[in-house]
Amino acid sequence: MNVPLGGIWLWLPLLLTWLTPEVSSSWWYMRATGGSSRVMCDNVPGLVSRQRQLCHRHPDVMRAIGLGVAEWTAECQHQFRQHRWNCNTLDRDHSLFGRVLLRSSRESAFVYAISSAGVVFAITRACSQGELKSCSCDPKKKGSAKDSKGTFDWGGCSDNIDYGIKFARAFVDAKERKGKDARALMNLHNNRAGRKAVKRFLKQECKCHGVSGSCTLRTCWLAMADFRKTGDYLWRKYNGAIQVVMNQDGTGFTVANKRFKKPTKNDLVYFENSPDYCIRDREAGSLGTAGRVCNLTSRGMDSCEVMCCGRGYDTSHVTRMTKCECKFHWCCAVRCQDCLEALDVHTCKAPKSADWATPT
Amino acid sequence: MGVGRSARGRGGAASGVLLALAAALLAAGSASEYDYVSFQSDIGSYQSGRFYTKPPQCVDIPVDLRLCHNVGYKKMVLPNLLEHETMAEVKQQASSWVPLLNKNCHMGTQVFLCSLFAPVCLDRPIYPCRWLCEAVRDSCEPVMQFFGFYWPEMLKCDKFPEGDVCIAMTPPNTTEASKPQGTTVCPPCDNELKSEAIIEHLCASEFALRMKIKEVKKENGDKKIVPKKKKPLKLGPIKKKELKRLVLFLKNGADCPCHQLDNLSHNFLIMGRKVKSQYLLTAIHKWDKKNKEFKNFMKRMKNHECPTFQSVFK
Repeated sequence: MNVPLGGIWLWLPLLLTWLTPEVSSSWWYMRATGGSSRVMCDNVPGLVSRQRQLCHRHPDVMRAIGLGVAEWTAECQHQFRQHRWNCNTLDRDHSLFGRVLLRSSRESAFVYAISSAGVVFAITRACSQGELKSCSCDPKKKGSAKDSKGTFDWGGCSDNIDYGIKFARAFVDAKERKGKDARALMNLHNNRAGRKAVKRFLKQECKCHGVSGSCTLRTCWLAMADFRKTGDYLWRKYNGAIQVVMNQDGTGFTVANKRFKKPTKNDLVYFENSPDYCIRDREAGSLGTAGRVCNLTSRGMDSCEVMCCGRGYDTSHVTRMTKCECKFHWCCAVRCQDCLEALDVHTCKAPKSADWATPT
Repeated sequence: MGVGRSARGRGGAASGVLLALAAALLAAGSASEYDYVSFQSDIGSYQSGRFYTKPPQCVDIPVDLRLCHNVGYKKMVLPNLLEHETMAEVKQQASSWVPLLNKNCHMGTQVFLCSLFAPVCLDRPIYPCRWLCEAVRDSCEPVMQFFGFYWPEMLKCDKFPEGDVCIAMTPPNTTEASKPQGTTVCPPCDNELKSEAIIEHLCASEFALRMKIKEVKKENGDKKIVPKKKKPLKLGPIKKKELKRLVLFLKNGADCPCHQLDNLSHNFLIMGRKVKSQYLLTAIHKWDKKNKEFKNFMKRMKNHECPTFQSVFK
């Protein structure tokens, strides 16, 4: 995604919603401000002093973080696409997204982890692209080295992920370190798990540039993998998230259910069970599933029975034009047939009117 | 793919509009030979490896990208499908494949190589057909082995598609004309006497010598060439003290003909490379100052600079 520079203002509200789950402020006026970091930083409610300080000192990093919001948000929506709660930030009132984060649920744990990972990713990438003054390619990756395939030269641009992690930790965790309560500890843990997840997928890539493409000459660099890999990894952690309670002296966690293992640094942790997200509930940050598309043949979370919470579904018959039977023709075009495709789309029914429904 | 609900309740009218659109698309599809049809707008799929490097661009194939400038289309995507990020890098890496192209080992060699080095400009990457890769590899790797090369990792065939959306010049069921019977010339001796081709070969070789030959013998399946007098034009991996006792090998060339060696009374232009401890001959030309092309080569050699990878990549 190529977001124009001005587009940062479109995404900043989401960033700030994530930073400040309190939903009392509106961000509409931020569009009117210019590029001044003073105005931008000082007018963001909910930033603690350390964050404001970093914001003033590193406006270019703030820009990278703002641009990166779209990416981790899209990843969150991808992972939750078949769930009742689908990480939807398109609700006209952003506050619902923020309200999910107020609850110490496993959805909240995932959002904190993926957003923290997204910040690491955005900063590290901006670093490699030469967009940040305070960092560049990993300075340690120089000269020659050896691996199982022989010697190689470091070249290209190795991602400086340690810088990304360090800055993300300083900025994202600053607010949590102000408090010592259970929620702050949960957020610190999940933020850290997210940051570590990105580093897990840092890998060595090489180019063979000997004569005729032979690997007698190789240049290698370290590169972060596609953010999807981090998202998939954290999704597995979300599914295996561990419910915890604070220990006696308030310094850490212990498992809520003794039969389960203790959380490692890579696990996500949560305190509260999730709501069912079936009906619209402002307090819980739930949009409900009325109008959601469901899958009639699925047995998973997106099945109509589960997605619609037993309320039933409507079916509409849709036809659309698609490309099919594509072939490459020399030279040079890919030509396709146009096919009319007919399919049924199933959407969840709304809850029945409350005034005559029998309570369950 | 997301499912919309826009057609709900107006199926009849929507179908009519869509059919009209289909007619327009089909008309556009047959408009011109160079028809860069956008069948799917998915520019993101071009980004592989360093997926957040600069966005792909459609650029002219330069005249001095000799591997591909006459391939049959005029524009290419940069970065290419081998993750070469600059045109200088493309040229440097492509230059070592030009000599193979001149060997004519398979009619599809250029189309195959250029589909990766200089991919056509479409909305998404189109890879060469797996069968084309396998045909080129099976025909050309034996020739490459005469020069001490093997089919490289970056061209492994099992990564290429088997479907219809892939690049090939001819349909897969066309039978190729079988190769002419008879003994084939040793590939290093099968050279076109053109100044441009000799320059390309010089750049692709590690060393080059002007020399007289004392004798040619068979040894372990190779032709062993013992020099009499030699003058280095390009030393490459040859050390000065090694030059004295230098012996060259025509790899796997014990029994194939090499017409340049029929008469040893001439001076020769010899090009080669070092593989392990052997110096392999990669090209041989009679040193013929009267030949127009050879004279042209000697003139050009003084000024010509071969592309070097180091300056490109760092």
